[in-house]
Amino acid sequence: METSFAITGKGYIIVAADTTAARSIVKMKTDEDKIKTLSPHLLMAYSGEPGDTIQFAEYIERNIRLYQIRNNYPLRPPAAASWIRRSLAESLRSRKPYAVNLLLGGYDTTTYTPHLYWVDYLGTMTEVPFGAHGYGSYFALSLLDRYHDPEASLEEGIVTLKRCIDEVAKRLVVTPGKYKVKVVDKDGIREIEL
Amino acid sequence: MSRRYDSRTTIFSPEGRLYQIEYAMEAISHAGTVLGVLAKDGVVLAAEKKVTGKLLDLSGAKEGGYGGSGEKIYLLNSNVIGGVAGLTADANSLINYARSAAQQHLLQYNEDIHVELLAQRLCDLKQGYTQYGGLRPFGVSILYAGYDSHYKFQLYHSDPSGNYSGWKATCIGANNGTAQSLLKQEYKDDIDVKTAISLVLKTMSKTMDSTTLGSEKLEFAVLTVDPETKQPKAKIYRPDEIDKLLESEGLAKKDDDAMKTS
Amino acid sequence: MMNSFADRFSTTGPIAELRKAQANVEDDQFSDAAWGSEAGFGSLAKGVPAFTVPNVPDPSAFLRLHTDDHADPNCRIKIQHGTTTLAFRFQGGVIVAVDSRATAGSYVASGTVKKVIEINPYLLGTMAGGAADCQFWETYLGMHCRLHELRQRERISVSAASKYLSNLVYSYKGMGLSMGTMICGWDKTGPAVFYVDSDGTRLKGDLFSVGSGSTFAYGVLDQGYRWDLTDEEAQELGRRSIYAAGHRDAFSGNTCNLYHVKEDGWRFIGNYDISQMHYEGPTGTGTGYGYDLRVEGRTSANPPPAAAAA
Repeated sequence: METSFAITGKGYIIVAADTTAARSIVKMKTDEDKIKTLSPHLLMAYSGEPGDTIQFAEYIERNIRLYQIRNNYPLRPPAAASWIRRSLAESLRSRKPYAVNLLLGGYDTTTYTPHLYWVDYLGTMTEVPFGAHGYGSYFALSLLDRYHDPEASLEEGIVTLKRCIDEVAKRLVVTPGKYKVKVVDKDGIREIEL
Repeated sequence: MSRRYDSRTTIFSPEGRLYQIEYAMEAISHAGTVLGVLAKDGVVLAAEKKVTGKLLDLSGAKEGGYGGSGEKIYLLNSNVIGGVAGLTADANSLINYARSAAQQHLLQYNEDIHVELLAQRLCDLKQGYTQYGGLRPFGVSILYAGYDSHYKFQLYHSDPSGNYSGWKATCIGANNGTAQSLLKQEYKDDIDVKTAISLVLKTMSKTMDSTTLGSEKLEFAVLTVDPETKQPKAKIYRPDEIDKLLESEGLAKKDDDAMKTS
Repeated sequence: MMNSFADRFSTTGPIAELRKAQANVEDDQFSDAAWGSEAGFGSLAKGVPAFTVPNVPDPSAFLRLHTDDHADPNCRIKIQHGTTTLAFRFQGGVIVAVDSRATAGSYVASGTVKKVIEINPYLLGTMAGGAADCQFWETYLGMHCRLHELRQRERISVSAASKYLSNLVYSYKGMGLSMGTMICGWDKTGPAVFYVDSDGTRLKGDLFSVGSGSTFAYGVLDQGYRWDLTDEEAQELGRRSIYAAGHRDAFSGNTCNLYHVKEDGWRFIGNYDISQMHYEGPTGTGTGYGYDLRVEGRTSANPPPAAAAA
C-alpha cells in the first residue's frame, strides 16, 4: 500500500516514500520516485489519487521555482508550506479537488531549524516532529511516539526509520516493496540508500 | 507640438519620452519633502507636512491610532512604514493597495511580506498606469522603510513610472536635491539609529521651506527590532513626541517663541 | 420555470434519478481517495481499519470496476474488459503485442480489432478501455505530433507525446473517459515506453501490460524478459505472452498483432491466430504453446522401479 514517513532529527529531516505505482491488483512500476525536490532545502512526499498526485506536485514544484526566479531567494519552509496548504484548501472547494496527501520536510537556513509539515487533501496542516501517510501510519505513529528523538543524529534517525519500515513489512498485509529515502539538512538534499 | 504627445499617457513623444510621467515627477518635486536614512539597527523616516494652519483640526493625531497625523507617513504592514510625496488622494489609494497586498501575502504565506516584494507589488500597479490607455499615472513617490528576515533593514524608493531602487539614505519631494547632497556628505556606513535620527532631523531643518521645525510641520517615524521579541517595531511619532524629540536634539522652534513674546 | 421547480422536488423522473445517483456518488467522494490519510485522527472516528480492501489506491473503485457488469450494467466505465495489450523495451527496440477481441458484456463483438494505433511512423499507441476514446484521442495526438514536427523541425519525443496525452486526458478526469494505453516509440534517447491512463497516471518504464488479460501476460512476460533478448526472442516473448492471456482470459483472444519498433520506425511483424498458436505454434509447423502439447508424454507419477518395470 502507498506509505510515506518523515522524521526530524538534530538539524535534518528524513523523508521516505514507497516506490510502487499500482493499478488495480497490478504493480505497474516498482521504482517510482514520489518525493519531489521543491527547492534546495525543501522536500515533498506526495500520495493519493493517481493523476492528481503528479499534476499537483508538478504545479507546486513549478510555482515554487517561479517564486525563486522572481525574487532571487527561495521561500522558507514555513512560507512554502503555508502556500501549498492554501493551494490544496482552495482546490478542495473547486469543481475538481486534488486528492493528494503530503509530507513537507524543509530546512530553514536562516534559523537553522528543520521543519516538517503533515498536510492532507482537505488542507489540514500541522507541524509535527514526525509524520506518516497511508496504512503504514497506523503502525509507524505509535512506534515513533515511543522511539522518536528530536536530537537524534542522522545515523540514529535512519535506524528509527528502518524500525518503521521493518514494522510495516512485518505487519501490513500488503507490504510496499522498496522505499526511496531522502534527507534534507544545512547542506541541502541528498538521497540515501538504506 | 508636445500637445500631441502629452494628452495621453500611452504615447511616446518623437524624442522617446513619456511626458505625463515626467509631469507626475514634476508634481512630486513640489510636494512635501520625505527623507529616509538606513541605519545598521533601524530605519528613520521624516516628512514635511504641507497642509497646516492653526484652524486645522489635528486632535485625531494626538491619541488613538498608531501615531502620525495621516498626511505623509503610514504604517503599511507591521514591518513596513511608507512615506509618501505627491498627490495625497493618489497616495491614499496606493496605501490602501499596499496594505491589502501585505495582508494577502500574510494570508498566503503566513509570514510578513518582504519589503522589496511590497515595493514590487506597488510598482507593478504604478507601471500599469503608464501604459494602459485612458489612465493617468499615480502622482506619488513612496519611501519604504522596512525590515524582513532576508535582507534585514531596508529603504526603498518608488516613483510614478514604476521604477524602484534601494537606498542608504534618500529624499523625495521639494528640495530633494539639496537634501540628497547634504545626506551624501553626512552619511556614514555603520551609522546607528540614534545618529540617523539626528542626521534626518538636521537635514530636514536645513531643507524645509519654513524656518521653524515643529510637530505641526513634521511627521516622523523609526523602524527598529524589538530586542526581546526580535520582531520589527514600527514607531510613528505623535505630535508631542516629535516636539519632545526636537527639543532633545536642540532643534525646537525658539524663534517662534521669541516672536510670540515680542 | 414551473417545470424546473417541479423537477427539483419530484421523487420520480430522470432528474430525481440523477440526483439519487449523485448523492450516492458524493457520499464517498473523498473517503475513497483519501484512504488511510487520517493518520492519528481517523482511527478515533472509524475504529481500527479492517483489511478487506485490495492493494490499490482506490479500493472501492477497483471493486466497482471488476463487478460493474453484474451489479450495474449501465456503469459507464468498463475499462480493461476484454483486452490484453503489452509493450516492452529491450536491446533491439520495443515490442508491442496485442490481442484482437472486442467484447460487449459476454458477447464477442469482433475478433479482428486493431488495438495498435499507428500514430506516426515512429510512434505506436495501444488500446485498452474505451475503444472510441483511445482511437479518437490517439489520432488527435498524432495530429499534434505532426504539428510539433512542423513547428519544431524535429520529431516529438515519446516522453513529450505521452505527456501531451496524459495532460489531455487529465483535463477530462471524472468525465467518463476510459483509456489505458502505452505510447511506444523511438526517439533521440532510444527506445521508449510510457504508460498513460485516463486517471492521468503517466509512467515511464521498461515493461507494461494493460487490460483484463494483463495479469496472465505478465506471468509469461516477466519470467521471460531480459534486456539483451535477441529480436527473434523478443518477438516470440511478446507473441507468447499474448497467447497466454488469450488462452486464460475469456475477454481476450482470437488473434495477436505484433509490432517491432526500431531506430527507423515501427514494423508490423504479423498477425497470429491464438488457436493456431495453441495447437501448432505461431508458424503452424512447430509444437503448440498449449500445456497439453508442451508436456505430452510427461508424467508426475513416480512409481518404484519394480512397479515401473511391471
